Amino acid sequence: MQSLDWLLLFRAPYGERVIDAVLTTLELSLISWVFALAIGVVAGLLREAPLRPVRLAATAFVEVFRNVPLLVQLFFIYFVLPRALPLPLRQTLFAFGWEFVSAVLTLSLYTGAKIAEHVRSGLNAVGVGVRQAAMSTGLTWIAAQRHVVAPLVLRMIVPGLTSEFVTVFKSSSLAMTIGVVETSYLTQQLGLQTFHWIEASTVGTVVYLLCAWSVAGFMSLVERWTYVPGLLRRGAAP
Amino acid sequence: MSALVDDVIALLGALAWYNLCLTVSAIAIALPVACLFAVARLSRHPFVYYPITAYVNVLRSSPLLMIMFWAYYTGPMITGAPTSAYTAALIALAAFEVAYFTELVRTGLQSIAAGQRDAALAVGLRPSQAMRLVILPQALRRMLPSLLSQSIIAFQDSTIASVIGVTDIFATTNIISAREQRPIELYTALAVIFFVLCYALSRLVRMLEARVNARTAGAG
Repeated sequence: MQSLDWLLLFRAPYGERVIDAVLTTLELSLISWVFALAIGVVAGLLREAPLRPVRLAATAFVEVFRNVPLLVQLFFIYFVLPRALPLPLRQTLFAFGWEFVSAVLTLSLYTGAKIAEHVRSGLNAVGVGVRQAAMSTGLTWIAAQRHVVAPLVLRMIVPGLTSEFVTVFKSSSLAMTIGVVETSYLTQQLGLQTFHWIEASTVGTVVYLLCAWSVAGFMSLVERWTYVPGLLRRGAAP
Repeated sequence: MSALVDDVIALLGALAWYNLCLTVSAIAIALPVACLFAVARLSRHPFVYYPITAYVNVLRSSPLLMIMFWAYYTGPMITGAPTSAYTAALIALAAFEVAYFTELVRTGLQSIAAGQRDAALAVGLRPSQAMRLVILPQALRRMLPSLLSQSIIAFQDSTIASVIGVTDIFATTNIISAREQRPIELYTALAVIFFVLCYALSRLVRMLEARVNARTAGAG
Protein backbone atom coordinates (compact mmCIF):
# COMPACT_ATOMS: atom_id res chain seq x y z
CA MET A 1 0.00 0.00 0.00
CA GLN A 2 1.32 3.44 -0.87
CA SER A 3 1.63 6.10 1.78
CA LEU A 4 -1.20 8.52 2.35
CA ASP A 5 -0.98 11.90 0.63
CA TRP A 6 -3.77 14.13 1.86
CA LEU A 7 -2.31 17.25 0.25
CA LEU A 8 -3.06 15.64 -3.11
CA LEU A 9 -6.62 16.87 -2.68
CA PHE A 10 -5.47 20.50 -2.57
CA ARG A 11 -2.61 20.46 -5.09
CA ALA A 12 -3.01 21.18 -8.79
CA PRO A 13 -4.64 19.75 -10.78
CA TYR A 14 -7.00 18.18 -8.25
CA GLY A 15 -7.57 21.12 -5.90
CA GLU A 16 -9.71 23.04 -8.37
CA ARG A 17 -11.49 19.91 -9.54
CA VAL A 18 -12.52 19.04 -6.00
CA ILE A 19 -14.04 22.49 -5.53
CA ASP A 20 -15.80 22.39 -8.93
CA ALA A 21 -17.21 18.94 -8.22
CA VAL A 22 -18.52 19.93 -4.79
CA LEU A 23 -20.10 23.06 -6.27
CA THR A 24 -21.75 20.93 -8.98
CA THR A 25 -23.20 18.62 -6.31
CA LEU A 26 -24.56 21.65 -4.45
CA GLU A 27 -26.04 23.26 -7.58
CA LEU A 28 -27.55 20.02 -8.82
CA SER A 29 -29.13 19.17 -5.47
CA LEU A 30 -30.38 22.63 -4.53
CA ILE A 31 -31.91 23.43 -7.94
CA SER A 32 -33.55 19.99 -8.03
CA TRP A 33 -34.85 20.48 -4.50
CA VAL A 34 -36.62 23.74 -5.39
CA PHE A 35 -38.34 22.14 -8.39
CA ALA A 36 -39.09 18.95 -6.46
CA LEU A 37 -40.78 20.88 -3.68
CA ALA A 38 -43.03 22.69 -6.16
CA ILE A 39 -43.83 19.51 -8.09
CA GLY A 40 -44.39 17.49 -4.93
CA VAL A 41 -46.73 19.96 -3.23
CA VAL A 42 -48.81 20.49 -6.38
CA ALA A 43 -48.98 16.78 -7.24
CA GLY A 44 -49.78 15.87 -3.64
CA LEU A 45 -52.63 18.37 -3.40
CA LEU A 46 -53.95 17.39 -6.84
CA ARG A 47 -54.35 13.78 -5.70
CA GLU A 48 -57.40 15.04 -3.85
CA ALA A 49 -58.65 17.26 -6.71
CA PRO A 50 -62.41 17.33 -7.33
CA LEU A 51 -61.83 16.23 -10.94
CA ARG A 52 -61.24 12.52 -11.49
CA PRO A 53 -58.85 12.79 -14.51
CA VAL A 54 -56.64 15.22 -12.55
CA ARG A 55 -56.59 12.85 -9.58
CA LEU A 56 -55.71 9.92 -11.81
CA ALA A 57 -52.93 11.84 -13.57
CA ALA A 58 -51.38 12.90 -10.26
CA THR A 59 -51.59 9.35 -8.91
CA ALA A 60 -50.09 7.89 -12.09
CA PHE A 61 -47.20 10.38 -11.92
CA VAL A 62 -46.44 9.51 -8.31
CA GLU A 63 -46.66 5.74 -8.80
CA VAL A 64 -44.51 5.69 -11.94
CA PHE A 65 -41.71 7.79 -10.46
CA ARG A 66 -41.76 5.95 -7.15
CA ASN A 67 -41.66 2.46 -8.61
CA VAL A 68 -38.90 2.79 -11.19
CA PRO A 69 -35.28 2.99 -9.94
CA LEU A 70 -33.74 6.46 -10.16
CA LEU A 71 -30.89 5.16 -12.32
CA VAL A 72 -33.39 3.87 -14.89
CA GLN A 73 -35.28 7.18 -14.89
CA LEU A 74 -32.02 9.05 -15.31
CA PHE A 75 -31.02 7.07 -18.39
CA PHE A 76 -34.51 7.27 -19.78
CA ILE A 77 -34.61 11.06 -19.59
CA TYR A 78 -30.98 11.60 -20.58
CA PHE A 79 -30.73 9.01 -23.31
CA VAL A 80 -34.16 8.02 -24.61
CA LEU A 81 -36.14 11.28 -24.38
CA PRO A 82 -33.91 13.21 -26.84
CA ARG A 83 -34.48 10.46 -29.43
CA ALA A 84 -37.94 11.90 -29.93
CA LEU A 85 -36.27 15.06 -31.28
CA PRO A 86 -34.84 15.55 -34.77
CA LEU A 87 -31.08 15.04 -34.96
CA PRO A 88 -29.89 18.69 -35.23
CA LEU A 89 -31.98 19.68 -32.22
CA ARG A 90 -30.66 16.68 -30.30
CA GLN A 91 -27.06 17.70 -31.05
CA THR A 92 -27.73 21.23 -29.81
CA LEU A 93 -29.22 19.76 -26.65
CA PHE A 94 -26.11 17.70 -25.92
CA ALA A 95 -23.86 20.63 -26.79
CA PHE A 96 -25.57 22.73 -24.13
CA GLY A 97 -24.95 20.47 -21.16
CA TRP A 98 -27.97 18.21 -21.45
CA GLU A 99 -26.45 15.88 -18.83
CA PHE A 100 -26.81 18.50 -16.09
CA VAL A 101 -30.28 19.58 -17.22
CA SER A 102 -31.56 16.03 -17.49
CA ALA A 103 -30.10 15.21 -14.07
CA VAL A 104 -31.98 18.18 -12.59
CA LEU A 105 -35.15 17.11 -14.42
CA THR A 106 -34.92 13.52 -13.19
CA LEU A 107 -34.05 14.39 -9.61
CA SER A 108 -36.90 16.93 -9.46
CA LEU A 109 -39.49 14.50 -10.78
CA TYR A 110 -38.27 11.59 -8.64
CA THR A 111 -38.06 13.63 -5.44
CA GLY A 112 -41.29 15.43 -6.34
CA ALA A 113 -43.12 12.11 -6.45
CA LYS A 114 -41.79 11.20 -3.02
CA ILE A 115 -42.73 14.60 -1.58
CA ALA A 116 -46.22 14.16 -3.05
CA GLU A 117 -46.59 11.02 -0.92
CA HIS A 118 -45.62 12.96 2.22
CA VAL A 119 -48.10 15.68 1.27
CA ARG A 120 -50.81 13.09 0.84
CA SER A 121 -50.22 11.52 4.24
CA GLY A 122 -50.20 15.06 5.66
CA LEU A 123 -53.58 15.64 4.02
CA ASN A 124 -54.90 12.45 5.58
CA ALA A 125 -53.67 13.58 8.98
CA VAL A 126 -55.27 17.03 8.63
CA GLY A 127 -58.54 15.46 7.53
CA VAL A 128 -61.17 16.70 5.07
CA GLY A 129 -62.98 18.75 7.74
CA VAL A 130 -60.52 21.65 7.48
CA ARG A 131 -60.99 21.98 3.74
CA GLN A 132 -64.76 21.66 4.02
CA ALA A 133 -64.83 24.37 6.67
CA ALA A 134 -62.68 26.62 4.47
CA MET A 135 -64.89 26.01 1.45
CA SER A 136 -68.04 26.65 3.48
CA THR A 137 -66.77 30.16 4.15
CA GLY A 138 -66.89 30.72 0.39
CA LEU A 139 -63.33 29.84 -0.68
CA THR A 140 -62.93 27.88 -3.90
CA TRP A 141 -61.25 24.46 -3.79
CA ILE A 142 -57.97 25.95 -5.01
CA ALA A 143 -58.09 28.85 -2.55
CA ALA A 144 -58.93 26.53 0.34
CA GLN A 145 -56.02 24.21 -0.54
CA ARG A 146 -53.63 27.10 -1.01
CA HIS A 147 -54.46 29.31 1.95
CA VAL A 148 -55.76 26.88 4.55
CA VAL A 149 -54.82 23.27 3.91
CA ALA A 150 -51.33 23.59 2.38
CA PRO A 151 -49.89 25.76 5.19
CA LEU A 152 -51.05 23.18 7.72
CA VAL A 153 -49.86 20.18 5.74
CA LEU A 154 -46.45 21.68 5.02
CA ARG A 155 -45.87 22.32 8.72
CA MET A 156 -46.85 18.76 9.53
CA ILE A 157 -44.54 17.13 7.02
CA VAL A 158 -41.32 19.01 7.83
CA PRO A 159 -39.64 15.85 9.25
CA GLY A 160 -40.51 13.93 6.08
CA LEU A 161 -39.26 16.80 3.93
CA THR A 162 -36.00 16.81 5.87
CA SER A 163 -35.29 13.22 4.93
CA GLU A 164 -36.18 13.90 1.26
CA PHE A 165 -33.92 16.97 1.26
CA VAL A 166 -31.02 14.84 2.55
CA THR A 167 -31.89 12.19 -0.04
CA VAL A 168 -31.62 14.69 -2.91
CA PHE A 169 -27.95 15.19 -2.13
CA LYS A 170 -27.41 11.44 -1.90
CA SER A 171 -29.36 10.76 -5.10
CA SER A 172 -27.44 13.45 -6.99
CA SER A 173 -24.44 11.08 -6.83
CA LEU A 174 -26.07 8.97 -9.55
CA ALA A 175 -25.67 11.87 -12.01
CA MET A 176 -22.08 10.68 -12.47
CA THR A 177 -23.41 7.79 -14.56
CA ILE A 178 -24.52 10.20 -17.30
CA GLY A 179 -21.30 12.20 -17.10
CA VAL A 180 -22.04 15.05 -14.69
CA VAL A 181 -18.73 15.83 -12.99
CA GLU A 182 -19.93 15.98 -9.40
CA THR A 183 -18.48 14.66 -6.16
CA SER A 184 -18.87 10.93 -6.85
CA TYR A 185 -17.52 11.30 -10.37
CA LEU A 186 -14.51 13.14 -8.99
CA THR A 187 -14.01 10.51 -6.28
CA GLN A 188 -13.85 7.74 -8.86
CA GLN A 189 -11.62 9.75 -11.22
CA LEU A 190 -9.27 10.67 -8.41
CA GLY A 191 -9.07 7.06 -7.28
CA LEU A 192 -8.57 5.60 -10.73
CA GLN A 193 -5.97 8.19 -11.77
CA THR A 194 -3.85 8.42 -8.61
CA PHE A 195 -4.76 5.19 -6.86
CA HIS A 196 -5.09 7.19 -3.65
CA TRP A 197 -8.44 5.57 -2.93
CA ILE A 198 -8.46 6.26 0.79
CA GLU A 199 -8.07 10.01 0.31
CA ALA A 200 -10.52 10.02 -2.61
CA SER A 201 -13.34 8.16 -0.90
CA THR A 202 -12.79 10.01 2.36
CA VAL A 203 -13.19 13.41 0.72
CA GLY A 204 -16.28 12.21 -1.17
CA THR A 205 -17.90 10.77 1.94
CA VAL A 206 -17.09 13.83 4.05
CA VAL A 207 -18.67 16.13 1.45
CA TYR A 208 -21.92 14.15 1.50
CA LEU A 209 -21.93 13.94 5.30
CA LEU A 210 -21.45 17.70 5.62
CA CYS A 211 -24.29 18.28 3.13
CA ALA A 212 -26.59 15.91 5.01
CA TRP A 213 -25.82 17.38 8.41
CA SER A 214 -26.17 20.97 7.20
CA VAL A 215 -29.55 20.13 5.68
CA ALA A 216 -30.68 18.43 8.88
CA GLY A 217 -29.59 21.45 10.91
CA PHE A 218 -31.25 23.89 8.53
CA MET A 219 -34.50 21.93 8.50
CA SER A 220 -34.68 21.80 12.28
CA LEU A 221 -34.46 25.61 12.18
CA VAL A 222 -37.26 25.64 9.60
CA GLU A 223 -39.29 23.43 11.88
CA ARG A 224 -38.81 25.92 14.72
CA TRP A 225 -39.63 28.95 12.53
CA THR A 226 -42.82 27.47 11.12
CA TYR A 227 -44.02 26.02 14.39
CA VAL A 228 -47.34 27.45 15.54
CA PRO A 229 -47.81 26.92 19.29
CA GLY A 230 -50.81 24.84 20.15
CA LEU A 231 -51.67 24.10 16.54
CA LEU A 232 -49.80 20.86 16.04
CA ARG A 233 -48.08 18.48 18.34
CA ARG A 234 -44.33 18.50 17.85
CA GLY A 235 -43.20 15.56 15.76
CA ALA A 236 -46.81 14.66 15.05
CA ALA A 237 -46.05 14.22 11.36
CA PRO A 238 -46.88 10.84 9.87
CA MET B 1 -40.27 -8.70 -32.44
CA SER B 2 -38.94 -12.07 -31.36
CA ALA B 3 -35.53 -10.48 -30.87
CA LEU B 4 -37.09 -8.11 -28.37
CA VAL B 5 -38.66 -11.08 -26.56
CA ASP B 6 -35.21 -12.67 -26.34
CA ASP B 7 -33.79 -9.43 -25.00
CA VAL B 8 -36.49 -9.16 -22.35
CA ILE B 9 -35.76 -12.75 -21.30
CA ALA B 10 -32.08 -11.84 -20.99
CA LEU B 11 -33.03 -8.82 -18.87
CA LEU B 12 -35.25 -10.91 -16.60
CA GLY B 13 -32.42 -13.43 -16.23
CA ALA B 14 -30.03 -10.70 -15.12
CA LEU B 15 -32.72 -9.36 -12.79
CA ALA B 16 -33.23 -12.73 -11.11
CA TRP B 17 -29.56 -13.68 -11.03
CA TYR B 18 -28.09 -10.38 -9.86
CA ASN B 19 -30.63 -7.86 -8.56
CA LEU B 20 -32.90 -10.32 -6.80
CA CYS B 21 -30.07 -12.41 -5.31
CA LEU B 22 -28.24 -9.27 -4.27
CA THR B 23 -31.30 -7.79 -2.57
CA VAL B 24 -32.40 -10.99 -0.85
CA SER B 25 -28.92 -11.83 0.47
CA ALA B 26 -28.33 -8.24 1.58
CA ILE B 27 -31.61 -8.25 3.52
CA ALA B 28 -30.87 -11.69 5.00
CA ILE B 29 -27.59 -10.29 6.34
CA ALA B 30 -28.93 -6.87 7.30
CA LEU B 31 -32.05 -7.84 9.25
CA PRO B 32 -30.44 -9.85 12.10
CA VAL B 33 -27.66 -7.28 12.43
CA ALA B 34 -30.25 -4.48 12.46
CA CYS B 35 -32.14 -6.20 15.28
CA LEU B 36 -28.96 -6.27 17.37
CA PHE B 37 -28.17 -2.66 16.47
CA ALA B 38 -31.71 -1.53 17.30
CA VAL B 39 -31.37 -3.00 20.79
CA ALA B 40 -27.98 -1.27 21.05
CA ARG B 41 -29.57 2.04 20.00
CA LEU B 42 -31.86 1.74 23.03
CA SER B 43 -29.01 0.78 25.36
CA ARG B 44 -27.93 3.11 28.18
CA HIS B 45 -24.25 2.13 27.94
CA PRO B 46 -22.39 4.93 26.12
CA PHE B 47 -19.88 2.44 24.63
CA VAL B 48 -22.74 0.59 22.98
CA TYR B 49 -25.03 3.49 22.18
CA TYR B 50 -22.62 6.00 20.61
CA PRO B 51 -20.75 3.78 18.11
CA ILE B 52 -23.97 2.26 16.81
CA THR B 53 -25.72 5.62 16.63
CA ALA B 54 -22.74 7.05 14.76
CA TYR B 55 -22.78 4.10 12.33
CA VAL B 56 -26.48 4.57 11.60
CA ASN B 57 -26.15 8.32 11.18
CA VAL B 58 -23.10 8.15 8.88
CA LEU B 59 -24.44 5.35 6.69
CA ARG B 60 -27.85 6.99 6.33
CA SER B 61 -26.20 10.25 5.31
CA SER B 62 -23.93 8.81 2.60
CA PRO B 63 -25.00 7.82 -0.90
CA LEU B 64 -25.06 4.07 -1.55
CA LEU B 65 -22.74 4.73 -4.48
CA MET B 66 -20.08 6.10 -2.12
CA ILE B 67 -20.41 3.04 0.13
CA MET B 68 -19.99 0.86 -2.96
CA PHE B 69 -16.75 2.73 -3.77
CA TRP B 70 -15.52 2.01 -0.25
CA ALA B 71 -16.42 -1.66 -0.55
CA TYR B 72 -15.08 -2.16 -4.07
CA TYR B 73 -12.04 0.12 -4.30
CA THR B 74 -10.95 1.48 -0.92
CA GLY B 75 -11.64 -1.47 1.38
CA PRO B 76 -9.68 -4.02 -0.70
CA MET B 77 -6.82 -1.50 -0.96
CA ILE B 78 -6.61 -1.31 2.82
CA THR B 79 -6.93 -5.05 3.43
CA GLY B 80 -4.97 -6.13 0.37
CA ALA B 81 -7.62 -8.73 -0.52
CA PRO B 82 -9.32 -7.96 -3.86
CA THR B 83 -13.10 -8.31 -3.82
CA SER B 84 -15.34 -9.17 -6.76
CA ALA B 85 -17.79 -6.48 -7.81
CA TYR B 86 -20.70 -8.67 -6.73
CA THR B 87 -19.31 -9.28 -3.24
CA ALA B 88 -18.49 -5.60 -2.84
CA ALA B 89 -22.01 -4.62 -3.92
CA LEU B 90 -23.46 -7.15 -1.49
CA ILE B 91 -21.38 -5.83 1.40
CA ALA B 92 -22.25 -2.23 0.55
CA LEU B 93 -25.98 -2.87 0.15
CA ALA B 94 -26.11 -4.91 3.36
CA ALA B 95 -24.17 -2.27 5.32
CA PHE B 96 -26.45 0.45 3.94
CA GLU B 97 -29.68 -1.41 4.71
CA VAL B 98 -28.49 -2.25 8.24
CA ALA B 99 -28.64 1.48 8.99
CA TYR B 100 -32.18 1.86 7.64
CA PHE B 101 -33.50 -1.37 9.16
CA THR B 102 -32.00 -0.44 12.54
CA GLU B 103 -34.07 2.73 12.68
CA LEU B 104 -37.22 0.89 11.60
CA VAL B 105 -36.76 -1.91 14.15
CA ARG B 106 -35.94 0.63 16.87
CA THR B 107 -39.21 2.47 16.17
CA GLY B 108 -40.98 -0.87 16.32
CA LEU B 109 -39.37 -1.78 19.64
CA GLN B 110 -40.39 1.57 21.09
CA SER B 111 -43.97 1.08 19.93
CA ILE B 112 -44.34 -2.03 22.09
CA ALA B 113 -45.86 -0.97 25.38
CA ALA B 114 -43.56 -1.06 28.42
CA GLY B 115 -46.11 -3.30 30.16
CA GLN B 116 -45.09 -6.15 27.84
CA ARG B 117 -41.53 -6.05 29.16
CA ASP B 118 -42.67 -5.74 32.78
CA ALA B 119 -44.99 -8.71 32.34
CA ALA B 120 -42.22 -10.78 30.74
CA LEU B 121 -39.84 -9.95 33.60
CA ALA B 122 -42.57 -10.69 36.14
CA VAL B 123 -43.01 -14.25 34.87
CA GLY B 124 -39.28 -14.79 35.40
CA LEU B 125 -37.69 -14.14 32.00
CA ARG B 126 -34.26 -12.52 31.93
CA PRO B 127 -34.14 -9.07 30.21
CA SER B 128 -32.41 -10.62 27.17
CA GLN B 129 -35.10 -13.30 26.96
CA ALA B 130 -37.85 -10.71 27.30
CA MET B 131 -36.36 -8.83 24.36
CA ARG B 132 -35.80 -11.92 22.20
CA LEU B 133 -38.97 -13.87 22.97
CA VAL B 134 -41.57 -11.21 23.77
CA ILE B 135 -40.75 -7.73 22.49
CA LEU B 136 -38.80 -8.38 19.28
CA PRO B 137 -41.34 -10.80 17.70
CA GLN B 138 -44.19 -8.34 18.29
CA ALA B 139 -42.12 -5.38 17.06
CA LEU B 140 -41.09 -7.21 13.88
CA ARG B 141 -44.69 -8.16 13.13
CA ARG B 142 -45.75 -4.57 13.58
CA MET B 143 -42.84 -3.28 11.49
CA LEU B 144 -43.27 -5.81 8.68
CA PRO B 145 -44.91 -3.33 6.25
CA SER B 146 -42.15 -0.72 6.74
CA LEU B 147 -39.44 -3.37 6.47
CA LEU B 148 -40.95 -4.59 3.21
CA SER B 149 -41.26 -1.04 1.82
CA GLN B 150 -37.60 -0.51 2.62
CA SER B 151 -36.81 -3.83 0.91
CA ILE B 152 -38.54 -2.62 -2.26
CA ILE B 153 -36.32 0.47 -2.16
CA ALA B 154 -33.29 -1.80 -1.65
CA PHE B 155 -34.37 -3.79 -4.71
CA GLN B 156 -34.47 -0.59 -6.78
CA ASP B 157 -31.14 0.50 -5.32
CA SER B 158 -29.52 -2.78 -6.33
CA THR B 159 -29.23 -1.32 -9.87
CA ILE B 160 -26.52 0.99 -8.49
CA ALA B 161 -24.26 -2.10 -8.35
CA SER B 162 -23.95 -1.70 -12.13
CA VAL B 163 -21.77 1.37 -11.56
CA ILE B 164 -19.00 -0.75 -10.01
CA GLY B 165 -19.34 -3.36 -12.74
CA VAL B 166 -21.94 -5.92 -11.69
CA THR B 167 -23.69 -7.09 -14.88
CA ASP B 168 -27.15 -6.67 -13.40
CA ILE B 169 -30.32 -5.87 -15.33
CA PHE B 170 -29.30 -2.24 -15.82
CA ALA B 171 -25.81 -3.04 -17.12
CA THR B 172 -27.32 -5.75 -19.35
CA THR B 173 -29.74 -3.20 -20.80
CA ASN B 174 -26.86 -0.86 -21.57
CA ILE B 175 -24.92 -3.65 -23.27
CA ILE B 176 -27.82 -4.92 -25.39
CA SER B 177 -28.97 -1.42 -26.26
CA ALA B 178 -25.50 -0.47 -27.46
CA ARG B 179 -25.22 -3.67 -29.49
CA GLU B 180 -28.63 -3.55 -31.14
CA GLN B 181 -28.98 0.24 -31.36
CA ARG B 182 -32.51 0.44 -30.09
CA PRO B 183 -32.46 2.12 -26.72
CA ILE B 184 -36.11 3.18 -26.78
CA GLU B 185 -37.52 -0.36 -26.67
CA LEU B 186 -34.92 -1.65 -24.22
CA TYR B 187 -35.07 1.14 -21.67
CA THR B 188 -38.86 1.11 -21.87
CA ALA B 189 -38.82 -2.63 -21.19
CA LEU B 190 -36.47 -2.04 -18.26
CA ALA B 191 -38.71 0.65 -16.77
CA VAL B 192 -41.84 -1.46 -17.29
CA ILE B 193 -40.28 -4.52 -15.63
CA PHE B 194 -39.40 -2.50 -12.53
CA PHE B 195 -42.70 -0.67 -12.46
CA VAL B 196 -44.79 -3.85 -12.66
CA LEU B 197 -42.76 -5.63 -9.96
CA CYS B 198 -42.42 -2.73 -7.55
CA TYR B 199 -45.98 -1.48 -7.99
CA ALA B 200 -47.41 -4.97 -7.37
CA LEU B 201 -45.18 -5.41 -4.31
CA SER B 202 -46.09 -2.00 -2.91
CA ARG B 203 -49.82 -2.80 -3.30
CA LEU B 204 -49.23 -6.02 -1.36
CA VAL B 205 -47.43 -4.08 1.36
CA ARG B 206 -50.34 -1.65 1.55
CA MET B 207 -52.79 -4.53 2.02
CA LEU B 208 -50.57 -6.05 4.69
CA GLU B 209 -50.33 -2.67 6.40
CA ALA B 210 -54.12 -2.40 6.58
CA ARG B 211 -54.27 -5.88 8.16
CA VAL B 212 -51.53 -5.16 10.70
CA ASN B 213 -53.20 -1.85 11.61
CA ALA B 214 -56.56 -3.54 12.06
CA ARG B 215 -54.97 -6.18 14.32
CA THR B 216 -52.93 -3.82 16.46
CA ALA B 217 -55.61 -1.13 16.74
CA GLY B 218 -57.38 -3.01 19.55
CA ALA B 219 -54.18 -4.14 21.28
CA GLY B 220 -52.91 -0.54 21.73
